[in-house]
Amino acid sequence: MSEEEAMASTAAVRVEGVSKRYGDRLAVDAVSLEIHRGEFFGLLGPNGAGKSTLVEIMEGLRRADSGAVALLGRSPWPRDTTLLPRIGVQTQSSAFFVRQTAHEHLRTVAALYGASRAAVDATLESVGLTGQRGVRVEDLSGGQRQRLAIASALVHDPELIFLDEPTAALDPQARRALWEVLRGLKAAGRTIVYTTHHLDEAEELCDRIAILVDGRIAVTDSPHHLVSASRAPSRLLLPAGRLDEATAAGIAGVERVSVQGGSLVLETHAVGPVLTAVDRLAGLDGVQTRTAGLEDVYLDLTAEATTHDATTPATTTEP
Amino acid sequence: MSAYAALTAAGCRAQVRDRTTLFFTFAFPLLFLVVFGLIFKGQAVEESGLTYLSYTAAGVLSWGVANAAVFGSAFTLMQWRADDILRLIRMSPAPLSAVIGSRYVIALVVGAVQSLLFVGVAMLPVFGLEPASGWPWLVPVLALGVTTFLLLGVIVGSLADTPESVAAVANFLMLPMAFLSGSFFPLESMPEWLRNVSLAMPLRYLNDAVSHALAGRGDSSDVLVGCAGLLAFAVVFGAVAAKTFRWTRSS
Repeated sequence: MSEEEAMASTAAVRVEGVSKRYGDRLAVDAVSLEIHRGEFFGLLGPNGAGKSTLVEIMEGLRRADSGAVALLGRSPWPRDTTLLPRIGVQTQSSAFFVRQTAHEHLRTVAALYGASRAAVDATLESVGLTGQRGVRVEDLSGGQRQRLAIASALVHDPELIFLDEPTAALDPQARRALWEVLRGLKAAGRTIVYTTHHLDEAEELCDRIAILVDGRIAVTDSPHHLVSASRAPSRLLLPAGRLDEATAAGIAGVERVSVQGGSLVLETHAVGPVLTAVDRLAGLDGVQTRTAGLEDVYLDLTAEATTHDATTPATTTEP
Repeated sequence: MSAYAALTAAGCRAQVRDRTTLFFTFAFPLLFLVVFGLIFKGQAVEESGLTYLSYTAAGVLSWGVANAAVFGSAFTLMQWRADDILRLIRMSPAPLSAVIGSRYVIALVVGAVQSLLFVGVAMLPVFGLEPASGWPWLVPVLALGVTTFLLLGVIVGSLADTPESVAAVANFLMLPMAFLSGSFFPLESMPEWLRNVSLAMPLRYLNDAVSHALAGRGDSSDVLVGCAGLLAFAVVFGAVAAKTFRWTRSS
């Protein structure tokens, strides 16, 4: 094996049997996962599932009770100043040096990493903050602060980037603009570890995702596989009044009928035959088809784990 | 630019742009000096035979410098932890010596500017302070004072998580110390047991050493004992600060 091959075969992140306990609560429970170089990896899960703890252990901010972590083949604990320049971490959007302008703040962060002044200008430009370079960090809007926090993670051109809810405070335009920045990073071969609650975003951007529930990894796969393997039904939306509920419920393959937002909604696992039947009964004009998305898979997985003792799941069929 | 130079530059900009802190660091102690100086103009402190002004100037200088060092380091450390700046630094490869060094230099510069200002104002013809022959001792004494109280501030900044609690804890430590260490009231006018209590306070040593260097009170042994006392407290505070330091709120 050549040196290059050896380099490429080292995972960007390798987590092996990592556990962390706080008091009598097991926050992270024997988690193992491997993130490949150049991969865009999403880490999803409900609040309190252990995401932050797991990410902080990966970053080397916390020490695992047991198990091992390797970033780019090296242990992040204890603080390793030869590893840190290769890693970028997005902090809270309050982590700014006080009473500095956006440019002064980013310049200070760049100096901590030994990055150049040219990199500061280029990074501000890439997150769309060139116009705010002279604005004090305290006077930036929520979205601008968020973008500056992301710039702080990127200014030293790291190989492995941890982003935590990077689009949380952004408006739809800024969110799309950031997606482009992230796609650019991936195209440049960077590895990105991404925690988010936006499932559409995970589906859009991530090569693979892991869903963390109660400190354990419930599933790790590509969004596409997860959705196609899911048992969630597809939904046909008909304009109201086209078909009455009883007739719709009588169509073979229709599992559930409801009226939602001015549409008659038919749930089914047999989209083809049901569409044919609807065409015959009422025509297909204005009919929309919605397939199950990552959100359905996610809700399904997290509900299973968290509602054992709760009331029956919301999948009962009503006439 | 090196991490040290960048952090020092950012710290200086933050300091100069903060009017409230500027007021409490420079103008507020000066207010004490001016008010007491004018009230007791020309009067001598009983027993010591020195003018009240030379007494007040030394007291305000030692208290003002100590206070700024404690509050400055405590607030900055608490804020850096609360805002996740510590985490940002922890995740960068910057050497910790650069971070600590930049904060230390800023504190020393603040102390030097305070000293020049307070002594300069006290020397104006209205107040008429004439520095004693030992005044060059002020440089090492005040530098040691800044060090000791900066380390005390690090402990306060590690224990407190909000600006309110920093102010409460720091005031709780510094106010009684100001009154019992002879900064505002001559120790000679206090009962002996209270004078003995003040031996357990670092400000007493700073005040004694500054009083001799600036006002000629006591003798040169006050400077040496003062420095030794400050050094002993610096070692203790440094050890406690290293124990109590936290990178993040929850660890």
